[in-house]
This record gives sequence, structure tokens and C-alpha cells, in this order.
Amino acid sequence: MTLTVRLPGPATTVSGRGQRWAEARAGSLLALPAAVYFLVFWVVPFAGAVWLSFTDYELAGVPAWTGLDNYHRLLGDPGFWNSARVTALYTVASVVPSIVLALAIAVPLSRPGRLNGVLRALVMIPAAMPLVATSMVWSAIFADEGLANTLIGLVGIGPQPWLTDERLALWALVIMTTWKHLGLFVIILTAGLQGLPSGVFEAAAIDGAGPLRIFARITLPLLRRTLLFVLVIAVIGAMQSFVPAFLLTKGGPAGATEVLPLYLWATGFGFERMGYASAIAMVLLVAMLALSLVQFGVLRGGDDG
Amino acid sequence: MRPSRWGNALRGTLLSLVVAVMLLPVYAMVAVASASDATDLGGLGFDAAQFGEHLSLLFGQGGFPLYLRNSVILSLGVAVLEVVLSGAAGYALAQLAFPGRRVLFAVVVGTLSLSPIVVLVPMYLVVRQLGWIDSFQGMIVPFAMSAFGVFLVRQFALSLPRELLLSARVDGAGELRIFLRVAVPLLRPALLTLFLLQFLAQWDNLLWPLVVANKPGLWPLPVGLSQLQTEYDFSAGLVGTAALVTAVPPLVLMFVLQRYYVAGLTLGGVKK
Repeated sequence: MTLTVRLPGPATTVSGRGQRWAEARAGSLLALPAAVYFLVFWVVPFAGAVWLSFTDYELAGVPAWTGLDNYHRLLGDPGFWNSARVTALYTVASVVPSIVLALAIAVPLSRPGRLNGVLRALVMIPAAMPLVATSMVWSAIFADEGLANTLIGLVGIGPQPWLTDERLALWALVIMTTWKHLGLFVIILTAGLQGLPSGVFEAAAIDGAGPLRIFARITLPLLRRTLLFVLVIAVIGAMQSFVPAFLLTKGGPAGATEVLPLYLWATGFGFERMGYASAIAMVLLVAMLALSLVQFGVLRGGDDG
Repeated sequence: MRPSRWGNALRGTLLSLVVAVMLLPVYAMVAVASASDATDLGGLGFDAAQFGEHLSLLFGQGGFPLYLRNSVILSLGVAVLEVVLSGAAGYALAQLAFPGRRVLFAVVVGTLSLSPIVVLVPMYLVVRQLGWIDSFQGMIVPFAMSAFGVFLVRQFALSLPRELLLSARVDGAGELRIFLRVAVPLLRPALLTLFLLQFLAQWDNLLWPLVVANKPGLWPLPVGLSQLQTEYDFSAGLVGTAALVTAVPPLVLMFVLQRYYVAGLTLGGVKK
């Protein structure tokens, strides 16, 4: 890095060997904690996770190399397949409605106006609520005599055992997750919409384009980058979601809500099968990376940037 | 074509209704906090006396005050360390030439896509090797920095005005002095965003403390809350009160630092 560029006079005196040495010294000093931190808490654990996934390791013993055994076992493990299916269903069922609803709310909400300003601040409340506290509240909402049953009672449906019914429990989690994500996505999409150039919209309106046409032809394409961002964090977030399933249902009833992170946790820390848990972690990582790449590919297609 | 006043009024009403529905579960939290027992969860009434009783029970006995204290230590510890360490590293990566810079940056970018759940098992083994199970170090140090934080500060520091840094060098200021006196004040928005996001993340971190803290005396709020049901003979109202109290600090922080909160959330979504 040269520091002499385009600077007249004294600038030349700070370039050269002395400056380079001072920079190297200060840079190393400032970056040293980061180097140690990332080595100890990410590089080594990541390498460890890869290696452990090829071993049989119970917490009390010593890791024993078993090659691809863990991965073979995964293929025939009904618990793993159940978790993979639950995670896939949970992800799709919570991501799609939360993004569609968020977009439907964000478009009108992003217009200027005093009322909208107030509403935008209010929308942040659900987004800023801690997930653990949120889960506590929703487990009360889904309780036998909770708000959910009161509400469906208003339209003549009898009380449901939301969290203890095999067919309902996952949908209860989906409802909660959709609600929690909705606030967050509305904020992000609103910020994205407010950053769009207003001239294009005015021009389209003058040309007589209706609101639906403007939305489909102008808003959506311009918002693509923000939508991609929301989609990626939504999918990745849902795939590694642990808290709602842990707090509301503990994975039950009968594994109906046992998402992969919960299965991983139970395998590693419940049964202390660290090698097998690491193999599950690798599958989860590869799935998350692959899906992110696919999403980038699909939404970036034809995009210049 | 101007939208009609009626159209605007209708849209405003509809939007307000939608937002009211979104806030219903938040209000439910307040209502649940004042519920007398499990058969009293379905309504939306608020019983102030009952709620007051829950508060005094919660703070008067049991682990809750301890969980609260532990959460403050954990969240503040992580947020402060993150700001100092990720701030320093992000600035160095953006503005200083030092040996290993490229490797470090590659590691940071590579780590961005790793989530804690993927390295949960080996990270636990590392912390166990360090002898940090059942300690605050064990809860705090693994989150003392983050790839996100370093990356955020680095992106921000790339756009620092070069002339300012250069003129400080011309004036003979040392590199560390330039960092502290010139760069840090300019980096403040990024550092505040980072502080806020990391504080909120740790306030809500359940998985890691669940794994490394087995002693109830070390439990932060998320772990404590998840165990409350067994600690008191299950009282839905008491758990609801605990959830409500837990939600207050993040909400206050978020409103005070609203600008930084939105900036942090939308990072990478709006601009690249």
C-alpha cells in the first residue's frame, strides 16, 4: 500500500520504509486478538467438526476413526429422516407466508405520512422481542385454555390441543415463527422500498400504469436484492431454528416437531454421541450452503450486479 | 392521478388493523403476566394486583434475580468485547497493511456462512479443553468477536476519508493514536450498531449457555426461563411475568437506538 498518491509536499515523508513498518506493527497488534479468536473458536472447531464426523466419539472416550460409518448410519436412521422432513416442512411453511405477508404490508407502509411513521415504529416491537420470551408467550397462547382456542371458539371451532397433537404441533410452531419473522421482514423490506428512486414510480403513474402493474413491473424487480437478502436469512434462520421447538414442544409429540438442530443437540449432548452429531452438523451445513447458492443463482439470474 | 382521500383513509385504517393484529401477541404477553392460573390464559384482561404479586414473587425469591444479573454480565461482556476487538480488527483489515491480512480476511469471510449450531460440538470440546465449562469465560469468550462484526466494521472503515488519516500521519501521530483519536469517532455508528445487535443476541442466547453452563447459579435469563416451570410449581402467570420482564430491556434499547437497529438489520439488504 503506497501512501504517496496524489498528495503534494509532505505526504512523501510518511511513505516509505518507516511508515510501512509502523503500519505493520499497529495492524498486527490490532488484528492479533482476531487471529487468535478465529483460529481457536472457528477454524479449529470447523476442522474438528469435519474430522469428528468420520469418528465414533462418546464424550467419555477417545475419538476412533470409522470412515464413512456415521454417514451410512444417517441414511438408515429414521430419526434423522424424520428431522430432515420436519425441518424442510417447517422452513417452507414459515418462510413463504412470512415473506408474502411482509411484502403486502411493507408496500403501503413504506409511503410517507405521519400514521405510517407511527405504524413502522410499532411493527418493530414484535421484531425486537427476545425469541425465548416470545416462545413462553406463545406456549401460553397455545395452552388448552389459551388465546388461540378462545379465538377459534369465536368462529365456532372447538378447542384444539395445539402443542400435544401430532398433526397440529408443527403448525403451531409455524404460526409463531411466521409472526416473529413478519415484523423483522417488514422492517427490512420497508427500508429497501424507501431506498428505491421515486422518479421511476412517478413516471410510471404519469404513463397511466395501475398500482398492480407498477408493483409487478417496477417494485418487484427493483427490490430483488432486498428480497434475496430476506429470503436467505429467512431460510437459513428457519433451518437452524432451535428455540421454538425446544421451548414449546421439546420436539414432540412423537418427534413431530423434532427439527434437525434439536436432533443434533439431543444426539450430541443428550446421548453424548459427538461423532454422529458432527455428521448431522455437516449435512445441515451443506444443505444451508447449497440452498443459499441456489437462491443466489435464481434471484441473481439476468441481474447485472 | 392523485389517490382519493377516501382511498387513503381506507388504506390507513386497514394498515392500522393489520398492525394491531401483529401486536396482539405482544399484548397477550402482558395479559398472561397477570393470569392467576392456567385456566385464566384465554382472556385479554389485565389484573394489576395479580401482576404486582407476580413481580414481587419473581424478584423476592428463587433464581430470577440471579438470571437477570447473569444475563446483564453476559450481554454487556460480549457486546463490549465485540466492539473493542471486532472494531480493532475491522479497522486494521480496512486501513493497515500488515502480514497475514489476506489470510485473516479470507477466514472472516469463510466464517460468515458458518452458524454456531454447525460447530456446536467441537466448540464445546474446545471450551472444555480450556477448562471453561461452568464459567462466565466459557459463555462470553466464544462470542467475544464475530465474523459479522469484523466484516461490518471493515466495510464501514473502507470509506473513512483517507485525507484525514493521512494528515494525521503527516502530523506525526502514531498509528494507534490515529485509530483511537481519528478512526474510532468516525466508526461510531458501526460500533453502536454492533454493540446493540450483540447485546440483543446474547440476551436471547439459549443454546450455548444451555450447553456450557450446568450450574443454575450461572444461568442467564433464556436458560433460567426455560427452567422456571420446574422451579416454581407451574404458574403460567409467573412465567408470563418473567417473559415480560425479560422483553423490556431489549425493547427499551431498541427504541433508544432505533436508527442503529434498522441499519444493522438492513445491512447488505439495501446496499452492498
